[in-house]
Amino acid sequence: MFKYIWQKEIRGQLYTWKGMVWLLVASLLLSFTSYLLLTNKELSLLDQTELLWLLSKIIIGVALLIVTIDASSIITTEFEQETAESLFLSPLSLKDFLIGKFLASFTLWLALFVVATPYMLATSAGSNLALAFMGYILLLGSLGVAGFTFFVFALSLFYRSSKNTLTTSLILLLALATPALFSSTLKTAPVIGAISKINPFDAIFSSLDNILVDYQTSLWQNWQFILPLFMFCLLTFALLIFTARLFKKQGIIKSSE
Amino acid sequence: MTMPEVITARNLTKHYGATAAVDGLELHVRQGEFFGFLGPNGAGKTTTIRLLTGIVHPDGGDILVNGFSIEDKEQIAQAIGVVPESRGFYEWMTGAEYLYFFAKLYGISALKKVATLLEQVGLTAQQNKKVGAYSRGMRQRLGIARALINSPRILFLDEPTLGLDPQGQKDIQNLLRSLNLEGITIFYSSHLLSEVSELCSRIAILNKGKLIAEGTLDELRQRINRKDSTLTDIFLAFTQT
Amino acid sequence: MKYFYTLIIVLGVSLLGLHVSHAQTGLPLELTILSSRTLNGTAGDFVTVQGQIKNTSRAAVSDVTTYLSLVDTENKLPVDLEDWSAEKGLYIGTIDTGQVFPLSWKIHFVKAGTYALIIVATAPISDTPQVSAITRFNVAPKRNLNPGNILPVALGTPVAIVLLLSLLAYKRQRRAGE
Repeated sequence: MFKYIWQKEIRGQLYTWKGMVWLLVASLLLSFTSYLLLTNKELSLLDQTELLWLLSKIIIGVALLIVTIDASSIITTEFEQETAESLFLSPLSLKDFLIGKFLASFTLWLALFVVATPYMLATSAGSNLALAFMGYILLLGSLGVAGFTFFVFALSLFYRSSKNTLTTSLILLLALATPALFSSTLKTAPVIGAISKINPFDAIFSSLDNILVDYQTSLWQNWQFILPLFMFCLLTFALLIFTARLFKKQGIIKSSE
Repeated sequence: MTMPEVITARNLTKHYGATAAVDGLELHVRQGEFFGFLGPNGAGKTTTIRLLTGIVHPDGGDILVNGFSIEDKEQIAQAIGVVPESRGFYEWMTGAEYLYFFAKLYGISALKKVATLLEQVGLTAQQNKKVGAYSRGMRQRLGIARALINSPRILFLDEPTLGLDPQGQKDIQNLLRSLNLEGITIFYSSHLLSEVSELCSRIAILNKGKLIAEGTLDELRQRINRKDSTLTDIFLAFTQT
Repeated sequence: MKYFYTLIIVLGVSLLGLHVSHAQTGLPLELTILSSRTLNGTAGDFVTVQGQIKNTSRAAVSDVTTYLSLVDTENKLPVDLEDWSAEKGLYIGTIDTGQVFPLSWKIHFVKAGTYALIIVATAPISDTPQVSAITRFNVAPKRNLNPGNILPVALGTPVAIVLLLSLLAYKRQRRAGE
């Protein structure tokens, strides 16, 4: 039954142009960034791996931002537009509802990846890193998107308001993204170092650095970065389960509306 | 022949904070009845319907719908149709797409059923228009069509003619009458006394979460000792005491 | 007796002088870069710098560590080896008298230019490190990036999305109009 929710969301994204506008925005951003980077730095190999590293950060960063914004409203609009009641009066379970919504958000990430593919191919040409570059962006991006989507959905069920969900999600996104941009020297500081160990952005960027700059392309060579990402996903999934149980207890309609 | 009960509520209670939205409610609705559920604003009508349809969890009491406990969500969902108070639709969908979507959720093979329903509610000509462009009356009819998608035995309606013009109200009333004649039990919540008195075979009056009167129109007249009283008189007599 | 004391003093000063000069002249280790003729390459290449360290003294030398040191001679700047080599320092431990120990670093040519490379050895017995001879090598640039590759993608992808959007809108409009 979740596939009907998934299909409905995809069609909604296409027919309301919501999803397509996101893809267009991402495409324009990547066009501008990749052209700028390529035309300014054309003669150095360090620059190509540095360019790939920069581009990969932009692709994943933009994808996480877009998916977070989209996921903030995909559940909450059902309450705000008063369609939740008729939806849950059908045999649809909360589990199928959440799976369908998750798949819709994840599909947006996959669509963004497809849009980014020609840019990845054009910039990694001749580097022997194209497959690793694209493969790891897909893997790391998928884990990051999954983890953040679980978190945003948990917030959605808790707040039932797109404004509150979006605000909190963006605060967390910024809070996690900013320390990942610090230099490695700063990360030796105790607090930042501790955050860095569980920060999915750190795991993603460190892994990409390991792959693109140090040419450590096997999964085994990157397990220490992929594992924290899995842990992040598990943690946020557990949070989603908790809030889903709370939501079920409260009922579809929480107060005397 | 006494028809079996299809809606039973015993000592039903729901609190929101310190306020008892529904307080010890007893309801017994039989198969085939057109049951009117009246009350002033804030009486607890919508909360009662939400309790009976499983949208809200009761704090106390028992509910049986079509012989199933309220815990059997899937069984109850297949047996009932609901036109809820919240009137949200997916504005970007066409009327037909909207019904197809809900048909799939109910596991119903959509094409023929959707066409029949659209004809039944008079929306065949508008089926390919976006719901966002529908008038209020058309949306109400679409909501009824959605409520009928699973061929329910019990139909719950919460203020279905609210905000409609007289013609729109009449169209809905005629449709509901025909459905009731087909054997569908109708649980009809409204504060429009004229249409309740026209449509309903039995009426219950709710006030401040409590059931204060129940019976046919004649039985209620007898209770206030006024043979020729209108439903308005009856309602005022019960709610102002 | 006077001659005896003079002899003792002269011997003592000589020994002290030897010790000082020994400390000032560095470790009794000989460092050689063996791959000096084969280091030239192209940016992106992985090469192995082969070297050796030999203990030229009569005593074993302990806690020896050897390092690569690289200078960009074009820009007159030292090179941070973080991106070039996974291992910058090699700890050897003890080198016995006359022992020759092989040294090897895998380095990645990440940037085109001209460079000078030395191997440096340190050990606790001396404050002065021992260095090898300078090896110079060139890293030729590798031109992979062609802005011409990106232009069709940068322009074409957004256009393709807009076309797809328009097609969807047109199809939906036609269907709604039926």
